[in-house]
Amino acid sequence: MPIEKSDLLQGTLDMLILKIVALGPVHGYGISLRIRQISKEVLQVQQGSLYPALHRLEKRGWLAAEWGASEKGRQAKFYKLSAKGRKQLESEESNWNRLAGAVANILQTAQ
Amino acid sequence: MSWWKSIFPKRASDAQMNTELRFHIDELIDENIAAGMSAEEARRRAMLDFGGQEKFKEEVRDVYRIRVLDATLANLKSAFRFIRKSPTFSATVILTLALAIGANSAVFSAIDAILLKPLPFPQSDQLMRLQQRHPKLSIPNPFVAPIRLEDWNRLNSTFQAITGYYTEDISETSAALPEEFTEALVAPRFLQVWGVAPALGRDFSFEEGRAGGPDAVIISDRFWRRRFAANPNALGQKLHIGNSSYTVVGIMPASFLFPDRDVDLWSPVPVDVPYAQSRESTWYTAIGRLKPGISIDQARANLGTVQDQLAQQFPKTDAELSVGIDPLKETAIASSRRSLWLLFGSVSLLLLIACTNIIALLLARATQRQHEISVRFSMGAPRGALIAQLLTETFLLALLGALLGLLAANAASGVFRSLAASLPRVEEIRLDARIVLYSLACSVIVTLLCGLFPAIRGTRRNLYGSLNQASRTQVSGRNSLQWLLVGIQVALAVTLLSGAGLLLRTFQELGRVSPGYDPSHILTFQISVGWGETADLKKLRQKTDRILEALRSTPGVEAAAISVGVPGVPFKYQTELKLVEGRAESEPKLFADNHLVSASYFATMKIPMLEGALCRETDGPPSVVVNRSFANAYFTDSQVIGHHLEASNLGYSGSAEIVGISGDAREAGLDQPPVPTVYWCAPVAEPGTYFLVRTHNAPMTMAETIREQIHDFEPQRSVYNFAPLEQHFSDALAEGRLRTILLTFFAATALSLACIGLYGTLSYNVNVRRREVGLRLALGALRGQIIRQFLWQGLVVCIVGCVAGWVLAAASGRLLTGLLYGVSPTDIPTLTAVILLVLVVAAVASLIPATRAARVEPMQVLRNE
Repeated sequence: MPIEKSDLLQGTLDMLILKIVALGPVHGYGISLRIRQISKEVLQVQQGSLYPALHRLEKRGWLAAEWGASEKGRQAKFYKLSAKGRKQLESEESNWNRLAGAVANILQTAQ
Repeated sequence: MSWWKSIFPKRASDAQMNTELRFHIDELIDENIAAGMSAEEARRRAMLDFGGQEKFKEEVRDVYRIRVLDATLANLKSAFRFIRKSPTFSATVILTLALAIGANSAVFSAIDAILLKPLPFPQSDQLMRLQQRHPKLSIPNPFVAPIRLEDWNRLNSTFQAITGYYTEDISETSAALPEEFTEALVAPRFLQVWGVAPALGRDFSFEEGRAGGPDAVIISDRFWRRRFAANPNALGQKLHIGNSSYTVVGIMPASFLFPDRDVDLWSPVPVDVPYAQSRESTWYTAIGRLKPGISIDQARANLGTVQDQLAQQFPKTDAELSVGIDPLKETAIASSRRSLWLLFGSVSLLLLIACTNIIALLLARATQRQHEISVRFSMGAPRGALIAQLLTETFLLALLGALLGLLAANAASGVFRSLAASLPRVEEIRLDARIVLYSLACSVIVTLLCGLFPAIRGTRRNLYGSLNQASRTQVSGRNSLQWLLVGIQVALAVTLLSGAGLLLRTFQELGRVSPGYDPSHILTFQISVGWGETADLKKLRQKTDRILEALRSTPGVEAAAISVGVPGVPFKYQTELKLVEGRAESEPKLFADNHLVSASYFATMKIPMLEGALCRETDGPPSVVVNRSFANAYFTDSQVIGHHLEASNLGYSGSAEIVGISGDAREAGLDQPPVPTVYWCAPVAEPGTYFLVRTHNAPMTMAETIREQIHDFEPQRSVYNFAPLEQHFSDALAEGRLRTILLTFFAATALSLACIGLYGTLSYNVNVRRREVGLRLALGALRGQIIRQFLWQGLVVCIVGCVAGWVLAAASGRLLTGLLYGVSPTDIPTLTAVILLVLVVAAVASLIPATRAARVEPMQVLRNE
């Protein structure tokens, strides 16, 4: 069953976006596509959440954006990670790993 | 809403957003077609998939809208919550600011009304005061001869018109009892110069300004309401003044209060009457209105040329004269400018002290809120948002303080007006939009001044990690900053206190001055006399004598005299005198203050005669008495008595013999040392002359008796302005008293604020160090040591502050020169007393937290850890 945005932990979507963008410049459609593919269709990002998040991250200076042509020659807005965003991603990743590890520990130990 | 769009250029970003979203939809359509749908179906599904575009476009826009409004509202809400949650802290800040901003706004309202706003006449910057100046007189003659005024008006090319006026108190006798009025007698063109037309009726006609023309008056709004109950039928009515009757031709609007708020009537002086043709008798206060676009320098040059022409034409009278031109507003307010700026300076220092106090409070507060702030940080709040929130809190406090302050200022303005009754334009002081704006500006400045630094410091990133530390185990930094702020407050308070101390000493010194006469038990009053009566001096003199005789025979009266000015009240009539016997060119010229008095003046005032005799009140050649300063200044090695003086412009013809020398008296004011003075025996009560009566009992108890006595044989005259002489002294010092009272009040407030600051900082320090104190007590420290340590901590800061304050006070003392009497601006006893006072008060303020520190129970504190 796909997990929609509302089920995602707050702040997780931002981290996922940063992670995807870290792989290379990509447009909004590309991001939603990759999240779907990499999570094997478990995570579905609604456009209604994706674009506000993208613009928020851009405004905070974690993402940089520029206009370019897509593979099919359409005009698209490409996002890439800024240095500030890279730092943010690192800290969020390590936080997430700590949290996930802790949660996993509890789940295992409590069994 | 247009400002909204201009801040957030919606269209540009909307177009970009549309492109971005269209790309996404196109890709979805491609994806659907690839999955085997028809083009139509693919598009429909893609749109469906995408959901309500408008809704989330709005969400994206939200990201850009920094959410100014929302954020402000949220900040305001949280600021209100903050104020509710910490009522003591908020009340302290609000009251401190209310006091400081209120006092500041009150003084500013006076400065605004008196110094900044233009005079209440159309194009009032064109109005100029003109004086005829004589190079040898230190004070210009304030008056202008009528004939010269006409010459100036006719010959100049830079003024629209020049006019003049003088006032006299008259009796109007059409009612049952004679009533006293103030009448302004005016030269032609009077209303034209002011640019104000009567509210009802008309200006004077040409004939009414000529000898033999109809007698006409224009009445003031106040008089119209009082006498005619504001009935328009007043126009054309007759008023009986002296022996003539005058027709009311106009009624001025209520806003026209010139020469002052007490004027009831204006009537024209015919330009061509014989007594107005002398070039030597000067009566008019001259006012001119410049032509548009003419500068004051052009006018000075132009009238200088005019006066040069007159000097050639009338060398005897006009050769040495020049023309002084100053903006009317300057001459009206110049005297109070320094007092007002001094008050504004001190009240701004007070605001600065209040701000310093609040900075210290906010800093202490920020330390307590570290935990809250780090929580907000860890939840991703940007620093800017936190600073904005802290500033909103400060602004809300400042705004509440300013509002409360405005209310206080409004309530205090009545007190201010009564204290400041001697200031010019004081009736124009009121709370208006400009004052409200000023208070708002004050609160914005206070917010930035007080709020910015603690907000920036309180949100430093290194606090980020403080979540991990329990705040109670945290020993705060050395808080040297708070101590610096306390030191600044003490220094500023010392500065204000020394200013107040010096002004108080001035008053004390003035109280000790011996004026050279006995001012107690003297009743002063005036009796209405018209200038017309001076045409027959002999008759007027008989009448004066009769009044004086009647006064002397009244039971309870010891002596009676007349004098043109009131002794001890600034009234200068300085002229050059000539010695008939001649003087060597090398000897200094004779300049002296002139006083016109009756011979009984010396006995009434108890001014001792040192040599010679009293002046003679005879019709023969006049005689004068000079004071000791005059004799010492001009006759070092020869006998004074027996010489003859001549003063052409006093209205005396011929020479006057010096018959006596009197003791020195402070005629021009208690703070004015005696200057060479000549007393002319003038037993004639000219208009405006004061009657002085020495009474057995309290002076005012005699007022009614005297009024009835005079009414018995002079029913046409009104007797008015009864006041004890000491009241005049007090009035003459009113402005000095105003600034002394206010400065003392500000200084006392400053001292209490500084003490609150000291107390607060030390208490905070004691709280933070409770554990350390407990530990030391447990290890055997004596309580006395603890008290001494904290007391000393507070006092060291105060001593440093006092030294800095001393330097500041010495540096700013020069601002006070001229306002002081009998005490130097760097008076050591005053400064020492101020510093002792501050140290004692500071010691008391420090002692309370210090003893609290010593009462710490070691076991309890240590157990709590």
